[in-house]
Amino acid sequence: MFENIIRPETLEPVVRSVINIGIILINIAIIVGIALLHVAYATYFERKTIGHMQVRLGPIEVGPHGILQPIADGLKLLFKEDVIPQVADRTVFYIAPVIFFTAAMTSLAVIPFFEKFVIADINIGLLFLFAMSSLGAYGIVISGWASNSKYAFLGGLRSAAQVLSYEIPMGLSLVGVMIMAGSLNLSEIVKAQQGYPLGLYLIPQILGFVVFVIAMFAETGRCPFDLPEAESELVAGYFVEYSGFRFALFFLGEYVGMFIMSSIAVVCFLGGWTVPQFILGIPLIGDILSKVPGIIWFLLKVYFFIFLYYWVRATVPRYRYDQLMAIGWKILIPVALANIVITGLIKLWVKGMI
Amino acid sequence: MTTKELIRKIFFVEIFKGMALTFSRLFTHAVTRRYPHKIRRPAQPGFRGLHAWSGERCVGCKLCAGICPSQCIYIATETDKETKKLVVKKYDIEVLRCLFCSFCVEACPEGALALTEHYEYADYSREALYMTGEKLQANWDKYMTGKVEDYFKRFWVPREEFFKTPEEQAVFRGGR
Repeated sequence: MFENIIRPETLEPVVRSVINIGIILINIAIIVGIALLHVAYATYFERKTIGHMQVRLGPIEVGPHGILQPIADGLKLLFKEDVIPQVADRTVFYIAPVIFFTAAMTSLAVIPFFEKFVIADINIGLLFLFAMSSLGAYGIVISGWASNSKYAFLGGLRSAAQVLSYEIPMGLSLVGVMIMAGSLNLSEIVKAQQGYPLGLYLIPQILGFVVFVIAMFAETGRCPFDLPEAESELVAGYFVEYSGFRFALFFLGEYVGMFIMSSIAVVCFLGGWTVPQFILGIPLIGDILSKVPGIIWFLLKVYFFIFLYYWVRATVPRYRYDQLMAIGWKILIPVALANIVITGLIKLWVKGMI
Repeated sequence: MTTKELIRKIFFVEIFKGMALTFSRLFTHAVTRRYPHKIRRPAQPGFRGLHAWSGERCVGCKLCAGICPSQCIYIATETDKETKKLVVKKYDIEVLRCLFCSFCVEACPEGALALTEHYEYADYSREALYMTGEKLQANWDKYMTGKVEDYFKRFWVPREEFFKTPEEQAVFRGGR
């Protein structure tokens, strides 16, 4: 029996599939655990960063430098009373946060964190991510509808319009990457970037990158496009009526969404888990840095984007709704389309077909 | 739109300027004062804080209760049959209704009432902030011991010199 485990090809198909499922489950457990821990400390990092940018201190009382604040917040949310409005549509009200959270967490399955560490290495990875990020909007819309409250309803409607509008430039901005890589598989995209200057798509796809970053902010509903949950207008937007753990699900989903978007940006434009080549070119340091495992490079790049989210939030005020729509439809979509045409023409020219 | 404006818009010049500012703020010292744990400062002199009352000085004239705009001072007196003097039976202040105007302190002819400089007396219940005579007396003993003279001299004696006519000014100073 022991020999059989060592040589998988001699195993019975049933046993083999059970072992495979077991390995996948372990992977899922690792990724979910790490993702939730990251979300917890992303909130801490956010409050600290924005606090210091606004010349405040941020959380500081719970533990040294407030390091236990996220745990205290989580415990508070777990033990809070779960209030459901009397007029709410109960079934839908229950389902909405689950849809939102599931859509966000499912996206984690296709992201290659480092070489060969990806739960589902599917060939339509990028499309899957788009589908899931759009599906999250369902959670928002029906939570706004089911709450039966003005603020939540307006937040849900705004979110629906915003996500629909910004899904298009986001998808179009990544078409350039797809054309250059010739694949929708995220691992393939990372590998394809090695043949380009600096090992990044950032330089040849700078237009797509800028469009993607702007659309990324809108898609996750963060500042300066946080109209669905504008505190000063709609109290908290679509999750106004939620409390306790249902609120926590929305909160987790939002932060996981931020990590997903940052991961897409890192995988598609910044070379994923690979070391940027200009660093490898430096004599002594390059040798040392090339031994750093890929996951650390990946996480560093993701943390940069997360920091960018907070940095922009601390700087830019919220856009007006018509401005948001104008930016999306009149600027980002034409720019993204132009980017596709230019990329396609250059690709044909390089291949010698023009 | 001029070319310059267009370039500024395309390269997000304004936004990057703002982001440079916020980034530079990231490394400055916070202005936050961590009040309860790190910094506890005494109040400024003359601060109107917790009430204190002296049973020995009080004669039960009820002037303080009469002037109180929010009517939160409750006094009960009775005449002692042997000495024919007023005896204060009850002296309560409902601190939650007080608006710290200090009219009561001003009205008191005996200096038996004071607003001390103690300000950290927040509590979770209404009862804790309903000051009975014993509590007020305890406050007096705790926060006013040795400060009574100074307190009334500095803050409640009319400052005549502020309102006096300067010597050099020619005014009618009475027939002499």
